[in-house]
Amino acid sequence: MTSLTARGRGSAPLSPRPRAARRASRLRESLIGWGFLAPNLTLMAIFLFLPILWALQLSFQDSRGFGSPEWVGLKNYAKLVSDPVFWQSFGNTIAFTILTVPITMIGGLCLAVLMNSVLPARGVFRTVIVLPMVISGVASGMIAGIIFYQSNGIINKVLSAVGLYPVAWQSDGLPALISVVIVAIWLRIGFNMIIYLAGLQRIEPQLYEAARIDGASRWQQLRSITVPLVGPSTFFLLIMNVIASFQVFDLIFVMTGGGPGNSTSVLVTYAYRNGFQIREQGYGAAIGIVILIITLLFTFVQWKTSRTRDQAG
Amino acid sequence: MKLNRKRSLAVGAVIVAVTVLSGCVGFGSGGGGGGEAGSNELTFTTWAGDSEAVAFKTLIKQFEAENDGVTVKLNVVPYAQMFSGIDAKLSSGNAPDIFRVDYGNLGVYSSQDQLLDLSPYLADEQNNFIPAMWQAVSFENKPYGVPHQTDVSALLVNTDMLSEAGIDVASLPTTQADAWTWNEFSDAAKQLRTALPADKYPFVYNWQLGGAPRWLSWVFQANGALFEKDGTTPAIDSPAGKKALDYTKSFYDNQWVPPTSSTKSSVYADTTFQEGTAAMVFAGSFLVPDMETLAKFNWTAIPMPRDERGATDLGGNALVATKDTKNPELAAKFLAFMVQADSMSAFCAATNELPTRTDLAADAVTFIVRPDVMPVFVEQASTIEPSDVTQLTSPTMAAISTALQDQLDAAFVGGQSTGDTLTNLTRAIEEASK
Amino acid sequence: MTQTVAIPNKLATTMSGDREPRRKSRSSAAAIGDRKGIVWRSIIAIVVAIIMVFPLYWMVVVAFSPRGEAFEPTLRFWPSAWTTENFQRVFELYPVATWFGNSVVIGLFITFLTVVVNLLAGYAFARLRFRGRNVLFLLTLATMMIPVQAIMVAQFRLVSDLGIYGSYWGVILPGAAAAFGIFLARQFFIGIPDEIIEAAKIDGSGQIRIFLQVVLPLSKPLIAVLILLTLMGSWNDFAWPLIALNDNQLFTLPIGLLYLQNQTAPNYNATMALALISVLPMVALFLSFQRYFVQGFARSGIR
Repeated sequence: MTSLTARGRGSAPLSPRPRAARRASRLRESLIGWGFLAPNLTLMAIFLFLPILWALQLSFQDSRGFGSPEWVGLKNYAKLVSDPVFWQSFGNTIAFTILTVPITMIGGLCLAVLMNSVLPARGVFRTVIVLPMVISGVASGMIAGIIFYQSNGIINKVLSAVGLYPVAWQSDGLPALISVVIVAIWLRIGFNMIIYLAGLQRIEPQLYEAARIDGASRWQQLRSITVPLVGPSTFFLLIMNVIASFQVFDLIFVMTGGGPGNSTSVLVTYAYRNGFQIREQGYGAAIGIVILIITLLFTFVQWKTSRTRDQAG
Repeated sequence: MKLNRKRSLAVGAVIVAVTVLSGCVGFGSGGGGGGEAGSNELTFTTWAGDSEAVAFKTLIKQFEAENDGVTVKLNVVPYAQMFSGIDAKLSSGNAPDIFRVDYGNLGVYSSQDQLLDLSPYLADEQNNFIPAMWQAVSFENKPYGVPHQTDVSALLVNTDMLSEAGIDVASLPTTQADAWTWNEFSDAAKQLRTALPADKYPFVYNWQLGGAPRWLSWVFQANGALFEKDGTTPAIDSPAGKKALDYTKSFYDNQWVPPTSSTKSSVYADTTFQEGTAAMVFAGSFLVPDMETLAKFNWTAIPMPRDERGATDLGGNALVATKDTKNPELAAKFLAFMVQADSMSAFCAATNELPTRTDLAADAVTFIVRPDVMPVFVEQASTIEPSDVTQLTSPTMAAISTALQDQLDAAFVGGQSTGDTLTNLTRAIEEASK
Repeated sequence: MTQTVAIPNKLATTMSGDREPRRKSRSSAAAIGDRKGIVWRSIIAIVVAIIMVFPLYWMVVVAFSPRGEAFEPTLRFWPSAWTTENFQRVFELYPVATWFGNSVVIGLFITFLTVVVNLLAGYAFARLRFRGRNVLFLLTLATMMIPVQAIMVAQFRLVSDLGIYGSYWGVILPGAAAAFGIFLARQFFIGIPDEIIEAAKIDGSGQIRIFLQVVLPLSKPLIAVLILLTLMGSWNDFAWPLIALNDNQLFTLPIGLLYLQNQTAPNYNATMALALISVLPMVALFLSFQRYFVQGFARSGIR
């Protein structure tokens, strides 16, 4: 998403100076650079890198949270492999990602195209679509819990009123997962729209004019001008959405608590459950390490493809 | 909209003002830790419903008034973070002096040597409490807490719906002596099923979320058990276990309960009663005040049905002191105060929970809300036997509870046979007891 | 807000490399053909807007309804009687003002710390040359991908060993270790024209003075965006405060919300009343500084 090489400009001093002086000035700049970075590095080292190492250590232990931990080697990882709830949570995480990401992105693009066209009160619509983004996951989860409430929630009441059957949002696994997906899309679609709008507005209007003159239909224009030209936005959104879906916590924790049964349990809520609810801190840490490895793998693949893209482009 | 200097100054002023106003309490380290030695301060961490919080505050005030110079700092936290917080504070050495704990978790802490052994302070108290409850706070015959309150389930019935279905409301049982048998209960359910439209149901059971162990009440009623007396060998695959499972399974097969009210649902079923969708509900007495506020129909409470014997769901909590408390004597004194007869009576009266003392029988507590239905609950509590408590508070219960939830769901709505379910449960109990 | 990426001043426009997106008005023939399209598009937009707003509307309805009404079998779309009893109840039973104050204090401290750290680090990555810079930037970028929940058990142990568990600092310090703003700041600083900085150098200013006296005054839009995004993030943060705060008097609003939901018989109307209280400041902030928010989000997507 960004090229990592900094711009090399501004480095050559204008007036010729002795070498020693130049070296001194380089050194000073280095020191200032490290000094500017120091607060960031300190915070990251203490609150991110140290805990990662600690989590790794913890994942080889059996720890209840108090009392002395016991070194158990790879036992926690062995347990992962044969733990059906872990695999179910893993599957749910994948399903949640596969359901939310494409819908949010396609929906976001469609809304962006809509908002980029001639439309009365465009600003108002735009504001309304972006607004859910500032609502916290906790509040959204609680609102959604009330809306999707199984007996006499507003959605089921409307379904019954129009002659359809009420849906078992809270006692049947699939509808529960779908309800969480719907809320996640509601929260995120505004962000996707905004990013796409920014991308759309960089497309030259002349391209569309030319296409219209050539007799291209709206659909053809969308397919052969819009979609390719918002490619960078798509790429960026893909990464942001996948990571957000992979790390979803607040919403599920508040809305379903992973239930019914474990049908909306995802890796992150399962790690929380083990680490903080049933006193399996070592096992919780092991799940955390797995999440970390998957995330880093994804980031690595994304970084590789982004580099080849940059070179190709 | 530029952030000019004036605006920055204003923002700065707000930061300073808010920090000063909030008294900087949050910047001290490790808030909520134990009181200093000899400082006459106790810290008390608990979760609490609204009426419980008020009752705790009142009692604390009274304790402070009776003991000059003593302060008790109450910290009420959400249930979701109660025990993770306690664990953290225990491991970092700044645990509260006193905390509230359910009987299941108490076993975890006492067996890990985290709690104050109260035997030197409460030597003569044992006989004042229901034996089963004293059993629940004991580990290796030493008390590690005081049984503060209990709650049990009884059957709440919507008398309007029952009358409409042709059931004579005046002849409903009121005491354990005339409690319905399983057969009589079935008759009532059948009669309701015939009378009610398809989208309404005879009853619901509150065994959702973590509530699956409540199913064991049926096993106990059939005179069955989860374990043998050794506390580890599974005993669920027995004629009594089979009878209980067959019977509860028939609730779903006969559509006596909504199909959505199985053990894996993520909401408690009692709301369906409160909305008038189910005619009866098995519910704890602590739900009485809310029912009273929300239900728009006439209702009353009757005893749980009985088979070979009576039995009910056990709930309730103990109060414990931590092992490293700086003020063990004061902490013990506070615990003793909280469970003395008049404190317990006041707490239970305000919260519709049940006393654990033998000298607080059915009419000793003047409940504020619906005093008419509460004796049913109080008497129902006497059906709990010490052996039930031993099983329900076993340290392996957490793991077994998950298995119960899965297996019962499979049996109730997943079509799994009774035999397979009991075999799977037996395996899960063996696994958990290893 | 006529442009989505409304960039507050000329400098920002040049820096983001945006082409002027303003469109010339279409020919009148096209406009006539468009009229039917506008009607259709308006209908779609209205439907979408209703769906997006409904949950928020419903929060307001439940918050102002008499207790229990939301789950009565009768279908209604507005309260039978508007009441403030839920708000009264919430303020009576829970230390809402304290929770609100905690959210404000924690939010302001995290924001202040984070913005300072981000600006410094972003500038170093964008404008200063030193050994190890690219590796460190890559590392910082990678931390954006680390889910807090993966390491929360260890982070929690660490915070409790540092003795800041259960205090504001236990939330503030880990909260300030966020890399997203660094990325935004670096992008912005790279865009500052070289001539401005070179001119300052020729005047004999040192790097620190250039940063403080030349660069920062040019960075007001960036600072505004960073403040808003960080404030919103910390205001809405839930997972970490849930773990790190265990004292009723220190709770932030999201934890307070959970407290209400955790009641044995939750009062949904009261919960929605508190939800509304917790959501309003962010909605107000969003509506008044909309273009900064939008710009911040959009900017994170540029390139």
